[in-house]
Order: sequence, then C-alpha cells, then structure tokens
Amino acid sequence: MDSHEVAALIKKHVNDIRIVNDRCLFATSDKQRCGDVLLTLKGRGVTHISTITGVDRGDVVEVIYHFDCRPAQLNLKIPLPKDDLRILTITDFFPGAILYERDLMEMLGVKVEGHPDPRKLFLPDDWPEGEYPLRKEWREKSK
Amino acid sequence: MTFVVPIGPQHPALKEPEFFRFEVKGEEIVDVDIHLGYAHRGIEEALSRRNYKHNIYLSERICGICNVVHTTTYCQAVEQLAGVEPPERAKYIRAIIMELERIHSHLLWLGIAAHQIGFNTLFMLAWRDREYVMDLREMISGGRVHSATNTIGGVRRDVKTEHVPTILHGLEKLEQSTKYYINLFGSDRTILARCTNLGVLSKKDAIKFCAVGPLARASDVKTDIRRDDPYGAYDALSFNVVIEREGDVWAKGMVRLREILESIRIVRQALKEMPGGPIRTRVSLQIPPNETVERTEAPRGELFYYIRSNGTDTPERVRVRTPTYGNFASMKSMFVGGTVAEIPIVMWSIDPCFGCNDRVTLVDSRTDKTRVVSFDELRRWRK
Repeated sequence: MDSHEVAALIKKHVNDIRIVNDRCLFATSDKQRCGDVLLTLKGRGVTHISTITGVDRGDVVEVIYHFDCRPAQLNLKIPLPKDDLRILTITDFFPGAILYERDLMEMLGVKVEGHPDPRKLFLPDDWPEGEYPLRKEWREKSK
Repeated sequence: MTFVVPIGPQHPALKEPEFFRFEVKGEEIVDVDIHLGYAHRGIEEALSRRNYKHNIYLSERICGICNVVHTTTYCQAVEQLAGVEPPERAKYIRAIIMELERIHSHLLWLGIAAHQIGFNTLFMLAWRDREYVMDLREMISGGRVHSATNTIGGVRRDVKTEHVPTILHGLEKLEQSTKYYINLFGSDRTILARCTNLGVLSKKDAIKFCAVGPLARASDVKTDIRRDDPYGAYDALSFNVVIEREGDVWAKGMVRLREILESIRIVRQALKEMPGGPIRTRVSLQIPPNETVERTEAPRGELFYYIRSNGTDTPERVRVRTPTYGNFASMKSMFVGGTVAEIPIVMWSIDPCFGCNDRVTLVDSRTDKTRVVSFDELRRWRK
C-alpha cells in the first residue's frame, strides 16, 4: 500500500494524517482507538513493525509505532499524558514488538499493560526504580 | 531435568558482549533467554546532546562493520529534515562504498562461520579475500574500516577516475573467489553436514517476529529496503533480491554469498553510470522543527533512524534500530529443539553485531554446582 491507500484505510481511526511522500506518512491517534488501527492494518496483511519510538515532549510522552505497509512506512503516534503513562501491549497483533515494548518501558517509563515479559532489556537489573534515561527530567538531572 | 547454560557476557570471537541463558534437557535446547545491554553506551541520548555535525561521527561509531550505512542513514535523514537533496554523484559514491561494505561484512561472516564449524582453511581464505575489498575502501575513502566519507549534503571524497581500473580489477578477483565459495558452500561435505537443517527459521516465524535482512531472505521472505523503499542511487541501479527457501544456517550463508555477487554488480554499474558534477551541497544546520524516518538496507538488514528536530543545531530525539536488534525476537524459534553444540554456528548465522562469550558455565539446577567450559570445548562437543 502506498501512503494514500494507508491514509484512506485508517482515516476514521486517527485524528490527523500528514503524508510526507508516497512511501512515508505520519498519523496521530489515541490509545482508545489504537487497537482499531492495528486491527485494520493486520486485516490488510501488514505484519512488519520496524520499531517503537518513545519521545518525551514535556507534558506528554509520544509513543510512535513504525509499521512497514510495503512500501509505505506508517508512523502512528499515540500521545500519552505523563500522569497516565499506560498503554496496551501490541504483541497480540505484532509479536515482533516484544523487545521494543520492553525498551519503551525501561527508557521512558511507559507501562505497557499485558506485556508477556515486562523485564528490563538494556538496563541492569539493579537500575533504580523510577529513573528513566530518555526522559527530559533525567537529562536535566544528569547534566 | 533441565540445566541452565549461561553463555556470555564475554567472548573474544565476537565484537561486543551479550548474555544468553539457554535451558537444556540433555543435549536439547528447550528455552533461550537474552540479556542485552552489556554494550549499551547511551548513544540515543548522546545523539540528542550533540549537534548535527558531531553526530555524523557518533553515528559512525555505533557499529564498526557497518559504519557507512549508519552515517548514510543519519545523513539522509538530516538532509530530509533540512529539505536538501545531495548531488547525484554523491548518491552514487555512497552506494559504491555501502556495497563494498556489504561485501566486506559478508566475507567477514563467511570467515567466522567457517571457523565456527572447524573449517579454518576457509576462514583464512575468506579473510584473505576480504583484504581486497578493504584495500579498495582505503583507496576510495582513506580508511580501511571507518571511512568518514559521508557528510550532511553529500560526501567528503570523490572517487577519482584513476581509481576506477583498480576497483574493477579488485572486483574481478572478488567475483572469482565468491563464485568459488558459492560452489564450495553447495558441495563441501563438512559445510553441508554442519549447516543444513540447523537453526531453521520458518517463513511463518520470520514474518511473525519481523525478521530483517539476510535472515528473513533465507526464509523465503522477499524483503530488501533497497528495492522496497529505494534511497539514494538505488532507484536507478538494477539488482536481484536474493532469497533461499530452507531457512537453515546453510541458506543464511548462501544468501550472503550470492548477495556479494549482486553487490559487485551494483558497484560496476554505479561506476559506469555515475554522473559528473559536485559531490556536496552546503546545508544550514539550524533545522526547523520537523520529524522524519529513514530506512536503509545494512549488511544485516533494515536499519532504521527516526530524527526529530527542534529549530536548533541539535536534534531533539534520535532513535536508532539496528538490524540485529530487529532479529533478536526470532532467535528463540531458531534455537529451541536444537542441541548445545549447535549454539556457536546458529548464533553466528544471525551475523550478530554483539559479543557472545568466552566461557560457558554449566549450572546443575538440582545441586547448584557449576562447571566452566571454554567456547573451544563447546565447539569440540560436536565432534
């Protein structure tokens, strides 16, 4: 699917769509409708997730899922307010996301609910609770 | 009763440390668990504390073997953010150096794979031939490994006309030896005995766990970012996406060897069709707020960068997903059901960009007694 086809497919489940070119688009949704987008994509044969990115934007942490819709790359953003950093796991739909979600949990403190193996991935087991290295607060503290 | 076989976190045969915990029942592996992070250097955070120019050098140091593809991906992403297009000649030079990098990476893989199965003559031969490509890289970029060729807006060094005959001559030698290795890989009894039906990744699992690169292609998944989402000069270059069906160690090796021939073809074509003109455009590095993703096909598979700019000369966030990280999820299905003696070659069949171990501790979970065996000893178990 190219970007326009992907946009037409998911438009009712997302708030806004920015088409960069035929092979790249960004879309923003919310965590209630995220499952619908995933189901729609899965239904159209999308199987590959390139990775998950977490970005600290100050008040919100943006979780970005990067799906390969062959050839279009869909970057689906889910903003989560910092006082409620919880999101459902997507490993039921995309088992390949298992490590990326562990990465997201330890680096940005997003709680991925229903994750089959929520242990630390890169950080040592004795890393202090509540310290998230990719948060803005942490950057200020470690300067 | 099951035993736990921890492997790692140090092993001199591989480049970086990593830790694997194998659960075995007799000789059979029943479960595997990985602990990453022994080589975690906080580079994503470091990238967002340095300016765009410094980051070229930092991204080059994420991986030694595939440093050019890292800087290319990074530079292409920043070029997209800044809204500039590098000159055509620069795109071709990037493609040439990236393909030479792929050849060197795959030959390096072949050498170590041969060593893992006890075929040290092939190891020496493969690494001898790898020197041809290292010499070519040095001639073009000035560096055998770290080429420092890429910059935002193009490349820093041109491929000179007087270099072309030497490159073509080097490619001819590489082509001859690669054809010999392909023949050997398909006929040698040692290789066939040690590589076929081992560490099989089925097509279903490769798709399910989002495998990338030669690992996926060896399991009959036709994926290659150079063809699926062409970047730089790849739109204009013709090549075949190599696939094999078996999904075992042999198929993974064969895919890599056949890819060397395709890379040689790409370099020849690029040298022939490379347009003249400048190799670099100047870019203002005060980049307005924006975000972009960039994907390339590294020797090990899809390399992914996400960059968000914020109007300054420093990026707000850089996310890097290397191909080996993408392939970890598939590991379990390759190991489970295999034997302890297969661990070295199956692990190497992923072409992992991390360290493994120097010694293995066998823990008897019933008596809690431990016994340390060396990697060499583990390798000899097969005999």
